[in-house]
Amino acid sequence: MSELTQNTYWKSLNELAQNKEYQNFVDREFPENATELTDGVSRKGFLRVMGASIALAGFAACRRPVQKILPYTKQPEDIIPGIPLYYATSMPFQGSLTGLVIENHEGRPTKIEGNDLHPSSGGNTNAYHQASILEMYDPDRSRGPLRKGERSTTDDFYKFASDYFSDTNKKIAFISEANSSPTFNGLKEEALNKFSGAKWVTYEPFGEDNSIEGNNIAFGRRVRAHYNFLNADVVVSLDDDFLAPVHPNNVEYAKQITSRRKVTSTEDSMNRIYAVENGFTLTGSFADHRKRIKASEIADFANALAATLSTRISGLNRFSTISNKFIDTEFVTALADDLAAHAGRTAVSAGFDQAPEVHAVVAAINSALNNIGTTVNYLAVPHFDNQNNKSAFTDLVSEIASGDYDAVVIIGANPVFTAPSDLDFATAISKASEVFHLSTYVDETGLAASWHLSRTHFLEAWGDGYSFSGARSVIQPQIQPLHDSVSEIEFLGAIVSNGKASGYDLVRETFNSFYARNFENRWLDILHDGIDVTDGFTVSNRPIRSVAPAPSTKVNEIEVVIKADNSIYDGRFANLGWLQELPDPISKITWDNAALLSPATAKTLGIVNNDVLNISVNGTNIQVATWIQPGQADDSITLNVGYGRKGIGRVADISSTSSQLFDSSMTSGGVNVFPIRSTASMLFAQAAITSTGNTYPIASVQDHHSLEDRDMYRQATLKKYQEKPDYASFKAIHKYAVPGMKEAAALGEDQPISLFNEQTATEGEPQWGMAIDLNSCFGCGVCIIACQSENNIPVIGKREVDRGREMHWIRADRYYVGDINDPQAVHQPVPCMHCELAPCEQVCPVAATTHSDDGMNQMIYNRCIGTRYCANNCPFKVRRFNFFNYPKEYLTSGEDPDIIQMAMNPEVTVRFRGVMEKCTYCVQRVNRAKINTKIETGFPKPADGSIQTACQQACPADAIYFGDLTDETSEVVAMKRNERNYLMLEELNVRPRTSYIAKLTNPNPALVKETKMEPAH
Amino acid sequence: MSKYEYIPEPALVKGNHDFASITKLVTDVNLKPTPKGWYLAMLPANALLLLLLTSIGYLIWEGIGIWGLNNPVGWGWAIINFVWWVGIGHAGTLISAILFLFRQDWRTAINRFAEAMTIFAVMCAGVFPAIHVGRIWAIYWVFPIPNQMAMWPNFNSPLLWDVFAVSTYFTVSLLFWYVGLVPDLATLRDRATDKVRKFAYGLFALGWTGSNRAWWNYEKAYMILAGLATPLVLSVHTIVSFDFAVSMIPGWHTTIFPPYFVAGAIFSGFAMVMTLMLVARKVYGMEDIMTNNHMEKMNIIIMVTGSIVGFAYMMEFFIAWYSGVEYEKAIFLLRATGPYAWAYWIMMFCNVVSPQVFWFKKLRTNVGFTFFISIVVNIGMWFERFVITVTSLSTDYLPSSWDYYSPTTWDVLTYVGTFGLFFTMFLMFLRFLPMVALAEIKAVLPQGDPHNYDDETQEFHPHVEKVPQPKAVKA
Amino acid sequence: MSTTKSKNLHGLLAEFKNPKALIDVSKKVVEAGYDKFDTYSPYPIHGIDHAMKLPKSKLGWIVLVSGTLGFLGAIWMMYYMSVTDYAINISGKPFFNFPAWVPIIFELTVLLSAFGAVFGMFFLNGLPKLNNPLFEVERFKKATDDGFFVCIEAKDSKFQVDLVRQLFEEAGATHIEEVYE
Repeated sequence: MSELTQNTYWKSLNELAQNKEYQNFVDREFPENATELTDGVSRKGFLRVMGASIALAGFAACRRPVQKILPYTKQPEDIIPGIPLYYATSMPFQGSLTGLVIENHEGRPTKIEGNDLHPSSGGNTNAYHQASILEMYDPDRSRGPLRKGERSTTDDFYKFASDYFSDTNKKIAFISEANSSPTFNGLKEEALNKFSGAKWVTYEPFGEDNSIEGNNIAFGRRVRAHYNFLNADVVVSLDDDFLAPVHPNNVEYAKQITSRRKVTSTEDSMNRIYAVENGFTLTGSFADHRKRIKASEIADFANALAATLSTRISGLNRFSTISNKFIDTEFVTALADDLAAHAGRTAVSAGFDQAPEVHAVVAAINSALNNIGTTVNYLAVPHFDNQNNKSAFTDLVSEIASGDYDAVVIIGANPVFTAPSDLDFATAISKASEVFHLSTYVDETGLAASWHLSRTHFLEAWGDGYSFSGARSVIQPQIQPLHDSVSEIEFLGAIVSNGKASGYDLVRETFNSFYARNFENRWLDILHDGIDVTDGFTVSNRPIRSVAPAPSTKVNEIEVVIKADNSIYDGRFANLGWLQELPDPISKITWDNAALLSPATAKTLGIVNNDVLNISVNGTNIQVATWIQPGQADDSITLNVGYGRKGIGRVADISSTSSQLFDSSMTSGGVNVFPIRSTASMLFAQAAITSTGNTYPIASVQDHHSLEDRDMYRQATLKKYQEKPDYASFKAIHKYAVPGMKEAAALGEDQPISLFNEQTATEGEPQWGMAIDLNSCFGCGVCIIACQSENNIPVIGKREVDRGREMHWIRADRYYVGDINDPQAVHQPVPCMHCELAPCEQVCPVAATTHSDDGMNQMIYNRCIGTRYCANNCPFKVRRFNFFNYPKEYLTSGEDPDIIQMAMNPEVTVRFRGVMEKCTYCVQRVNRAKINTKIETGFPKPADGSIQTACQQACPADAIYFGDLTDETSEVVAMKRNERNYLMLEELNVRPRTSYIAKLTNPNPALVKETKMEPAH
Repeated sequence: MSKYEYIPEPALVKGNHDFASITKLVTDVNLKPTPKGWYLAMLPANALLLLLLTSIGYLIWEGIGIWGLNNPVGWGWAIINFVWWVGIGHAGTLISAILFLFRQDWRTAINRFAEAMTIFAVMCAGVFPAIHVGRIWAIYWVFPIPNQMAMWPNFNSPLLWDVFAVSTYFTVSLLFWYVGLVPDLATLRDRATDKVRKFAYGLFALGWTGSNRAWWNYEKAYMILAGLATPLVLSVHTIVSFDFAVSMIPGWHTTIFPPYFVAGAIFSGFAMVMTLMLVARKVYGMEDIMTNNHMEKMNIIIMVTGSIVGFAYMMEFFIAWYSGVEYEKAIFLLRATGPYAWAYWIMMFCNVVSPQVFWFKKLRTNVGFTFFISIVVNIGMWFERFVITVTSLSTDYLPSSWDYYSPTTWDVLTYVGTFGLFFTMFLMFLRFLPMVALAEIKAVLPQGDPHNYDDETQEFHPHVEKVPQPKAVKA
Repeated sequence: MSTTKSKNLHGLLAEFKNPKALIDVSKKVVEAGYDKFDTYSPYPIHGIDHAMKLPKSKLGWIVLVSGTLGFLGAIWMMYYMSVTDYAINISGKPFFNFPAWVPIIFELTVLLSAFGAVFGMFFLNGLPKLNNPLFEVERFKKATDDGFFVCIEAKDSKFQVDLVRQLFEEAGATHIEEVYE
């Protein structure tokens, strides 16, 4: 990393702390607090430094937002201490909004949940949404404007802007991340009108440009493909991981896909999913059939599919002449038959990064299959630019490089880090006299800019925009901006109107313009619901053109495939500890990226895990550690971007911190892959691989990947289920009943006999239980982050993870089933089972873990002395131990710990060193509901559905059911009555309250080869 | 001529000793000025003790995280060392109590010595349960003391049984040891010449006169104590084994543990007594009292207990297979073939193979060889505890949580440190207390037995063994 | 023989050459009808209890009582703590979970019995008794080494110095000495 940038970064912060006028400013604002700045607390430790140098945050937290916003669910609006309030807002990502509801405690947001009124949320979220709260409280966030690297203020900027932008002849290049905000796009128009020589390009490193261009080829119009998987019986994904958070609409899609796999009786049907991809994706692991091929062969595959279909359905004649390796393969033929058989009720999709031509072919296939209108709509999105943004960006950069522009205005994006390497963006912008940059962090672009502006986080800002499908909603602030920042509309407003602009006014104006009359009441409703209109973008009715086959792009040698990362996307989330420590859903790697390659490829290259490879793509080299990934296509290496950032933040760049949690041998943060990503190799490229002989430690949370023929994960095909509905029962698997059951049956009992008279459930108390539907879970891991956010679970760092001390209360186990080269990957979330005869309880010498009246297995932190006996005796190993004082690392030290402390949930104890902890079934939520119902009804039995655990609430697949087992009508009881319901390790007779609903697959009979449960490790 | 030949029991005390010479031989060690060698030995011992205190200090400062423990493996070296030290302790009680009840007079040479070892070993063991918890400052919560939480300990927990077992064991061993010491302290009191010794020994001798009315109650008490200590010593390691056996982890949840742990304890304990005895008797020239016959007898016990342990290992395997429980089967296969196979085979060699050499009289009477084996056995027994504790945890029910455990430097230093504690205590003992039970050994001298005196002249005539002549078998 | 009448006589102490002699003399002493006497030896001599006609030791009863205390105490403690005072649902087990209590009941029984045995023995032997007229006698130091002594106390109703001395001499004492308090 460059020592220089590192220093400047810190220099600026130190200055911030001493800066005279800033000092005055703070004194003015909070005289009583002025001293906070002068306390010289030594900065040491990893998350300990999550709290750099200003003290205003903690107090901002105590203040209500000035503008009028309404509680989402609760009245009255005034805060009752201890009672959280919920406000609606939306999170923008890749130019689409997802509706959220934010839990506020005494005026500070603490937890993010989905807004069930919002189509792209449906009440659920993904990991990015959950973690965005940490982003707002991240002390490494940009804390104010930088003028040529020196600390400045927004007022200074406004002064400067009003003068600088008054000259309308200035040639200005605007580079903005995708943004659906009508307000923003209105201002964009104004800007383009105001500056005659201005040019505007929307830049997203992993955006939907290719798909738009492909649709342009197919329909002669730039439209967005929006799927409705609810109507799809057969879904085909060509390298499209629409279930992963990297897709801007993954929550809605996950809901649709999984809702078609909710099987409650043998009568129910299921959709069938085919995934064709090079690396193991969430979609691939959830598919009934997964075909691993190189990413560079997707084009060929699409052609082959179209060709094979052409003999079955009309409209694809131009493909009939195609011949490549996929033609007449068993898979393609079977797939084509299946699609043709379900014509009109199928959906074919392709990954955003695939070539436009592939998207065109996919559009042609969808149209030929009559899917348009039922399973897929092509939406006319008003704010799409009428240009190919990819090429436009390339052109613009070269123009900037040749000095055609006075100023470059970069809004949100971080092109210096993410732009194709051959464009050499950094050098290009150095030609412009002024570079304005608006960003949440002082990132690579910010450091290169002459004006860096701190971007107001969406939780602090006013804004608006459209969901992926086109539902219009508002972004309303939950709290006063923590730092001296401006939102993108305020920023743009300042440019067009030469002066300060209020985000609130701008947004209000925009919405006012939508309503001729009675706006006031409407406005309140909008704020209340967080959404305006749900009917989406108008559907384009352009007829399909005749689409030509996509040119073959096959790479014959080893290909590298560059993908956005499931945890930190393109690097924008790299400083969020929660996401860095969130295991990759398939590889289970934390804190790093790695070169993922198939066992066969590894063998031919003669390398093993942790070997550092040198990957050379036309002249550019990067060194990445190996990680062998079963199911990876052979000769295809997947690399995730976003890692290897330097001097950006203390989480993203561990090498910049010294802490006991990170010894030197354990630097993490991964490797920057962007250098090998050029305009020629946006998705894949031919690469030369050599081993450097070095090794690099990679922290994976799962060391063993085989089921070892054990029965904790149970699955069958839909067909087998219909023949043998109880296939998942213990008896069906082991051919004998659970030990002790026969004797119990003789006594007329329904539980295995035991040596003593067990305690019985307390009368009048609810008895909590959980059921996890393995047929819905696709392993995204949002439950882990939701739990971490709700329950104040600390981030422990790579070294501790590597030592196997991860703290997540709910983990997502991933097993490989079948052939090690081409296995099935199955996901199994494992929280505490809350056993009725809990083995952990009896072994604790001090009774620090006991059983509650409502059947929960409780952990009494202040009684625990930390013998770890309970964890040893837990057959599910769900207990977590505080080996060090993890929370202290980032909650009580650093110069302004108040900031990160604000992210903590006041209803959950922060655990101390040396105590055991584990999933509590979100007891704080349960008890709040119990108390409320007791006040209202006199009985502590909340209505079914009134309590949602954090994991359950977040899950877009609705895979988790929680409720009162004594309530015969409750959903969880219904699930547990299902014949597929089973208990993990049932024979131990610990009687878990958490049970699983066995998985079903729906394979194409033509492709079925009995997959036996063989160890894949 | 018969083919049977009668071999009389060898004399318990070699050489031509009378009461006075025995007293002199033993007590001079304590009354003569300290030899330089003692200081030389004390130096490293104290250094290690310091190391122990340091590593405990750092542990309290930083937290359990400085050890190599992880998520599946919640118990590591600390518990292994605990079980190992307790096990070693058991030989002392066994020799002093059980052999006493069986009237094995040869024990008198080594019982004092072994009991001392017991007490110090239990001290070393006691260190670990106390420091291995996450919040060391709250460890006293395991005792039923009224507290602000108004909570009591959980009597269902094997760990709590352990607390009572080990503390009882320590107390009773200490009392037993002290009772045995009283008459010898009196001897020291009467032989001491300087004021300090006179006072100190006198104080702890409690004014013992050797009155036979006192001896009468004394012998009764000693017998009762032996009777109590015998079931106690068996119960202690049984309860230690419950820490594992009562849990539900494959490889732990097995009913064979109590007898198997006790056998193992005696096995390692005798080995440790042997190691110490062979050194001490050489240094202090006590070959006459701790004779090679003693060594041979102990070697036979080592061989027998070693074989019992070996049998237990195989029985575990058999039961795992016979039970048909897949997790049980898996763990035992993993022990022998899995990531910890190396530890398993070290254990097998040291505990099962090595003691078998004592079938050969030549080897079990060879001092150097015995010394070597005694150390091998203790290494083996440490690994037994390692295999039991770690393998079961690291690869239990759900493969997803399987993880490999490896210790850190602090694990090692803490363990090494306990030897400092042990040897410091032991050297103090050798220096200031009689290492042989004088009164008891005098009682087993030929001169000690009134029947070896002529009824008329009251003169001593050594006992002559009447060799029984087997009857010739008629054809 | 010089005897200062300033101190009053504790008893007459005689040394004998070996355990056998000690047994013989104690028989004589008992025959002569003395009861306030005692014999001293470096180790318990086999069979001397018969010679001295010692009554059965009461220690067993003390141990029985203390052991019973330990047994009942343990049960009461655990019952009070986990059933009466603060009953907690642990692993769904009954509050009165006797099987789990057995180990602790056993341990406490043994512990209390051991206390009874040790302290009972000290009590019966009147220990600790740090000053004893016999310690004034230099030669008596041999009693814990290789000396065998008899001492008949002046308190004895039959005690007459000359008679006792005569008895000892006839028994073949190697040394006789008056002991003063």
